[in-house]
Amino acid sequence: MGDEEMEVETEEKGGDGQRFVVKKWNAVTFWSWDICTDTCAICRNKLYEPSIEAQANPGLADDAGYSIAWGCCGHVFHLDCISRWLKTRSVCPLCNREWEFAKIEKIATYGDS
Amino acid sequence: MVSSRLLKEYRELQNSKRDPEIGLQLVDESDIFVWKADLQGPSGTPYEGGTFELSLKCPKNYPLVPPKVTFVTQIFHPNVLFKTGEICLDILKPDAWTPAWTLMSVCRAVTALLSHPEADSPLNCDCGNLIRNGDMRGYKSMARMYTLLHAAQKLPS
Repeated sequence: MGDEEMEVETEEKGGDGQRFVVKKWNAVTFWSWDICTDTCAICRNKLYEPSIEAQANPGLADDAGYSIAWGCCGHVFHLDCISRWLKTRSVCPLCNREWEFAKIEKIATYGDS
Repeated sequence: MVSSRLLKEYRELQNSKRDPEIGLQLVDESDIFVWKADLQGPSGTPYEGGTFELSLKCPKNYPLVPPKVTFVTQIFHPNVLFKTGEICLDILKPDAWTPAWTLMSVCRAVTALLSHPEADSPLNCDCGNLIRNGDMRGYKSMARMYTLLHAAQKLPS
C-alpha cells in the first residue's frame, strides 16, 4: 500500500501544446496469493509470514520456513512444515491424498532481500 | 514448534467466542500439554443433558502425532472402553491423524461420535452388540442410565 501522487503542470497558453504534462507518478499495486486459504494448517501461522519454527529460530540457515509449497492437490503449507510432516506420512494433511510437490516459492517479503 | 503450535491454539481459543458445547481449556495454566474439555451430550441422543469430561494429553511432538484423548466421565458408548475411557476414533490413530486437526476440532469429532456410534468397531462389546442386534431401545436405555448416573449432576434423576 502506498500513497498515490500525481503532479501536473497546466500550460498557460492554449493552442497546439499539450494541455498538461505528467511530472511525477507513483503507481500502487495490490497482490495476493492465488490460494483459497491464507493459513498454514500445520503451524497455523499465516502463509505470508514465516512458519512457527522459522519465527522461533530466526537464525536458521535453512530457509524452508520462509518458503511455501503447493501440492498437486492444490493445498499449501510452509515448506518446512510440510517436509516435517511428510516424514511421518506422505499424504496431504488436508485431503489425505498422496503428496506431490507442484511448486515451491519464497515468501516475497522474506525471500529475496 | 510443538509448544508454539499449542500456544497458538491456546491464543486462538482465548480470542474466539467460547463454545458452550465444548468447554476446552488447560488443566493447569503452567502446562500447555495437558488439556480437558467438558462436552455437552448432543441433543436427540441418550447423552443429552450430560456433561462429559475429556482428557487431552499432547505428546511433545504434537501436532505431528495425535493427542491422547480419553473420557474421564464414564460413558456407555460402543466406541469407548467402559473402564478406562479409551476412545476408538480413526483420526486419533497415527495412520489417520493429520496435523491439520486441532484440539478443538478433535473435540468436535468426539462430540460427533456421540451422535453416530459405530457398532462395527466396538471397544464396548456389550454396547456394540446391542446396536448390532438392532436393540436400539436397549442401547439407548443403558446409555441414558449411565448418563444420569455419571454425567448429569444437574438433572433430576
